[in-house]
Amino acid sequence: MSSENHNPDRQTATAFVRRLLQNPALSSYTPLQKEDQIIQFFHTNAGQLSPSLSTPQFFGRRSWNEILSLLVSALVELVNLDLEPAIRRMIDERLDFRFVDFLQEGSSPSDQRQIRSEVEQAVRDVVERHDARRFLVGPFTAVYYPVIERYVEEIYQRRSYIHFELTKVQRLRMGKDEVAEMVKAATLLKPAVHLISAPGASPDERSAGLIQQDYADNATKTLTKRFSSLPEPLLRTAVNANVSFQENRFIEATARLAAVLAARCRGYNPDAVVDRGADWPGKSWFATARRNYRFYGFDGKMIDELYQIAAEKGW
Amino acid sequence: MSRRAISFLEGLVIVAILLVLVQSFLDDLSVLLDWSWDTRLTLLYAAFVLDLFFCIEFFCRFYFARVEGRARRYMTRGLGWVDLIASVPLLLFSSGPLVLAGLTGGAVIGGTTRMLNLLKVVKAIRIARVLRLLRTLKLFKRIRKVDAAMAQRHVTRAATTAASVVILVAVGFTAVDVAVGIPGLETDQERRLAGIAPYVDARGLTEESAQAELELFAEQEPLLLVAREDGEPRYSRYTDEEYRELFGPHDYIYAETAGTEVFLDLRPLHRAGARIGMLFFFAVLFIVVGYLVLYAPHFAVTVSDPIHVMRRGMEEDSYNLAVHIDPRFRSDEVFRLADSYNRVFLPLKDRNRGEGASSDLSVDDIAGIFDTGAEGGSPGESGNREE
Repeated sequence: MSSENHNPDRQTATAFVRRLLQNPALSSYTPLQKEDQIIQFFHTNAGQLSPSLSTPQFFGRRSWNEILSLLVSALVELVNLDLEPAIRRMIDERLDFRFVDFLQEGSSPSDQRQIRSEVEQAVRDVVERHDARRFLVGPFTAVYYPVIERYVEEIYQRRSYIHFELTKVQRLRMGKDEVAEMVKAATLLKPAVHLISAPGASPDERSAGLIQQDYADNATKTLTKRFSSLPEPLLRTAVNANVSFQENRFIEATARLAAVLAARCRGYNPDAVVDRGADWPGKSWFATARRNYRFYGFDGKMIDELYQIAAEKGW
Repeated sequence: MSRRAISFLEGLVIVAILLVLVQSFLDDLSVLLDWSWDTRLTLLYAAFVLDLFFCIEFFCRFYFARVEGRARRYMTRGLGWVDLIASVPLLLFSSGPLVLAGLTGGAVIGGTTRMLNLLKVVKAIRIARVLRLLRTLKLFKRIRKVDAAMAQRHVTRAATTAASVVILVAVGFTAVDVAVGIPGLETDQERRLAGIAPYVDARGLTEESAQAELELFAEQEPLLLVAREDGEPRYSRYTDEEYRELFGPHDYIYAETAGTEVFLDLRPLHRAGARIGMLFFFAVLFIVVGYLVLYAPHFAVTVSDPIHVMRRGMEEDSYNLAVHIDPRFRSDEVFRLADSYNRVFLPLKDRNRGEGASSDLSVDDIAGIFDTGAEGGSPGESGNREE
């Protein structure tokens, strides 16, 4: 234990945050979602929290910025305790990289262990970067729960627009299970684009977190060099999931799908209670996304189809 | 008065209301099926006790409402008028006199001319029992759904209106009937009853020589129970033991004409009243149940639920569920508003929030932490909004 952990303020912050993390309202969320929720809670309620936390019972006469820094630091430390084993478990149990062989036709079989290791490294690198970490919330949740598999299954059942885009336009020569795994891998690697910028210099051009196509092309090249075992199409898909479809109509369908489902899963809660008179969470989310698809750079027709699926399946 | 005591008394009132329903049903059933007098007397006592309970309840509520300066509000919007007419008149004009008659063993006595008026009173008492069903409406006042105050108020108002209209029309119609005598089967029956004693007297059926004719008449006239001449019994339909077992003081009527005395069976008249009573019992019961089971959910689905969802969406940053719009009600004002909420408000709210997440936590959730310090207390304390 470091000497810093013996600091009384640090201990108070850890105890305070620990109790927040144990709040039943957050019990159904992933570790990163809990962190996201608590940070947002700090920002939204700073006016009410600051006077209470500036008392001798908590942090004495420290300024709110100092208190916030202590709290966030303690929060990240506590969340990491749960997050690290969760990342390992997720990559080992929830991801199957055999689809990589379909992307590298003619090449020798891929080294699955090496791919797994590099994906894990990429995710850990994102987690380490405080400015990139928040972009992992949605992707992590999308892979943590079987959301992507369910939607891909339905997409293949319907054989409609998204299926056409995947099989005829993007020409993926693989089964639906492999497509689902590719979308999952691309979703998880989506925030890796933030690894190539200097810390603190976020590449997003506006609050929707989108990047320019030129930036994406350079990012793809850099990441391909950094994670040499990962196929370029996978990394390109992951990076292009950050590009607006309004800017580039030729983005891969897998990237478009990854972008939508990562955004959908940021606040995803499998145990969400639906009020009488309200639509299902998935249907509600896609209904709103149908109106805002340009703002977030989504493919409108893809959103329409996913909305239909969510409405029909009661998701 | 402590909250626990109030809660106990409210619970007691609900139990009493449910007992009233059971008692009313059994009371009518006992008359229709000719149950023994002892059983009916027990039901009569039960009615008396319940009437007394609701009288006391009404006076207590009225007293406290008056002390707090809201007597008028209680009598109108608080359904105090229901408490009043479902308690005091019943005790004074229905269960009270009947229990008194039962205790004293007194019978309804009438000469030929008074008999019709007495029969009307019997009928009025009988129909007044229907007022007891108004107590069912008091149930609404005690079904508290904090989140759906509007639904509760609307359903209560609608059910109260429908059921009380049915009951008051029945009572009003009977009052008019008692006052002016609307012709019908029942009035024919009453006239028939009133005509038996003069007929027996005029035909000399109670003469010793006319015993066979009297028995033939009794066979054709089932309302005749006993015929006497100057105190001497000439005919009796049942044995004394059967009278004791089956008849109460208000089940027969006595009439006398020039020394000819007859005891007449009122039970057929009571049965006719019980039939009507049961009809109203089920009418009111099904009106109330119908409003609770059919109308209340419909109101919730089409009015209060969409409004609840929109209110949460507007008040809570993290609440983003759209209102479910049933295509059948799409043109309703509420759903047109909900459509705008779904299409305009939610997307705008989402865009305004941008990448920033919303939080399910509120300061109320962590009140426990501030009370006990960061270290103290159990984690559950901080998340329970009830606290």
